[in-house]
Amino acid sequence: MGTRFVGKKVNKVDARQKVTGEAKYTEDLVNDFADLLHIRVLRAPHPHAYLREINVEPAREVAGVVEVFTAADFPELTEFGLIIKDQPVLVGIDQKMRYLGDALALVVAETDAAALRGRDRIELEIEELEVVDNPLRSMEQDCIQIHEDHEIEVTHYLDPEMCCDNILSDNYLDKADVKKGFAEADLIVEREYQTQFVEQLPLQVEKGIADYDEESEEIIIWAASQWLHDTQADIAQAMGVTKDKIRIKQPVIGGAFGKKEDISVHIHLALAARELKRPVQLIYNREESMIAQSKRHPQIIRHKTGVSSEGKLTAWQTEMIMDTGAYASSGPAVVRNAMFHCTGPYQAPNVRAACYAVYTNNTYCGAMRGFGATQMAFAYDSQMDVIARELGMDPADFRMRNAYQPGSTTPGGEKLELGVNVRETIAEARRLSSWREGDNNA
Amino acid sequence: MEITFTINNEKRSLEVSPHQRLLDIIRKDLGLTAAKEGCGKGECGACTVLFNGEPVASCLVLAPQADGAEILTVEGLISREGELHPLQQAFLDTGAVQCGFCIPGSIMTGYRLLQDNPEPKREEVRQALAGNICRCTGYQKIVDAVQLAASRMQSGGDSSWAQDL
Repeated sequence: MGTRFVGKKVNKVDARQKVTGEAKYTEDLVNDFADLLHIRVLRAPHPHAYLREINVEPAREVAGVVEVFTAADFPELTEFGLIIKDQPVLVGIDQKMRYLGDALALVVAETDAAALRGRDRIELEIEELEVVDNPLRSMEQDCIQIHEDHEIEVTHYLDPEMCCDNILSDNYLDKADVKKGFAEADLIVEREYQTQFVEQLPLQVEKGIADYDEESEEIIIWAASQWLHDTQADIAQAMGVTKDKIRIKQPVIGGAFGKKEDISVHIHLALAARELKRPVQLIYNREESMIAQSKRHPQIIRHKTGVSSEGKLTAWQTEMIMDTGAYASSGPAVVRNAMFHCTGPYQAPNVRAACYAVYTNNTYCGAMRGFGATQMAFAYDSQMDVIARELGMDPADFRMRNAYQPGSTTPGGEKLELGVNVRETIAEARRLSSWREGDNNA
Repeated sequence: MEITFTINNEKRSLEVSPHQRLLDIIRKDLGLTAAKEGCGKGECGACTVLFNGEPVASCLVLAPQADGAEILTVEGLISREGELHPLQQAFLDTGAVQCGFCIPGSIMTGYRLLQDNPEPKREEVRQALAGNICRCTGYQKIVDAVQLAASRMQSGGDSSWAQDL
């Protein structure tokens, strides 16, 4: 084993540049370009509507505006997305905007002020549709379909009557026999929990610069990404070019926490740089970052738990409905991750779970620290407290009685052998918080 | 209009327009890019610089207000020999730096605190840094860093850092 670093305190390699201010984040590179153009994005004025007409001529007349791009300028564009390609680069005529962050036009100007003036002069005609802001509404039979052009295959599971038109993905698991487990229970507790949108809020918002090399036909992008090669591949497929034409030079990143897994400024920058053959910048402000980029998924979590009078779990059934917002992003992976954490670190011999990621017209949701497990943690540990109270047991004791140990199996059937520390964690939490048995009754 | 001010001990004159922000002239006109823009609304503290000795959100100060002012940014804390200020060194040593976006602002707030209060208690450091948001660290190590710098400066490791800039 190496002895240079293991067990030793080592300074972060780039910490010195960060305490002196020498570290170069994207926005610090703008001074390196003499003739940088500014982009501003016109975003959807309504969260669910057809774009019927767009008139960019008034924007072109603004002094300083160099060019205005819409979907009509790029018929070759295809949709993009981390797992499912369902997000438009620019919404075209007779296409739908599905949330307030959808891009309708790119205004490129000599100054940011001119780009803003131009953006605000673009004239639109839209046909407004029902705004679906609640995933429960999304799952009703008479609800408008948000992605009618995307085939969604869903296996009916807990509820055969459920409408699947707006379901992005469903997942389910069975471990042993949940019916038998409920039959063995002395007490069955059913509760519903809800979590909310959370903004990752990295201190640095989305920003980027792009340039075009006419000789090699390469587009060079300076912008943060958490998936450098996926981002490169997605930009290339959306633009219909080969990957070697897209070069991403990653500057120092001012925080991400999952929010920068999704494409933000990248394709818009690439298009403008290539068309105008000049370096361009696109700098979001905080409001734009909040409206246009991903959030933590809100989840509606329904737990039904069977327990013996001695405090041993016999059955655990979970139904979870996750608002994935307007686009898939990481949704299909987040919903799965949440599902496999449905019982947390507690051993339930019989488990059934069905979890749905559902489209709405809310800002799309994606990755954030914990990736779905965090929402589930709130729900299963709340459920454990409710059950302990109903059994009249100390909640720490009740957890100890059901906590994983080596040899336990997870809801997904994975046998745990090493690193099973939940009992030690509960004991330590008890010690540090001076928790004594019976304190919950105080 | 033309304004004249001192930044990091250097006298500078600039032609500015009335709506420009102090942050813009520091970052764009002077090319001192340590101070960052996180919110543009004085909420996050990433753009903190010392302005006539006091920490300010430079995104909320108009450029003309800087006429005659003395400004200090994190770039100005490094000695002529290129040595780090004890605060910078302490941020490095305690592992207080992750993404680093908030660090130039946090260091400037910490610098001002130690001028008034050379031996701040944990709670006093927290109070002073309340306007500097960090999304990575959970603040523990940033507070550690300010206290470590304070103790190193107190033990007289290098008194030249006590100079008032």
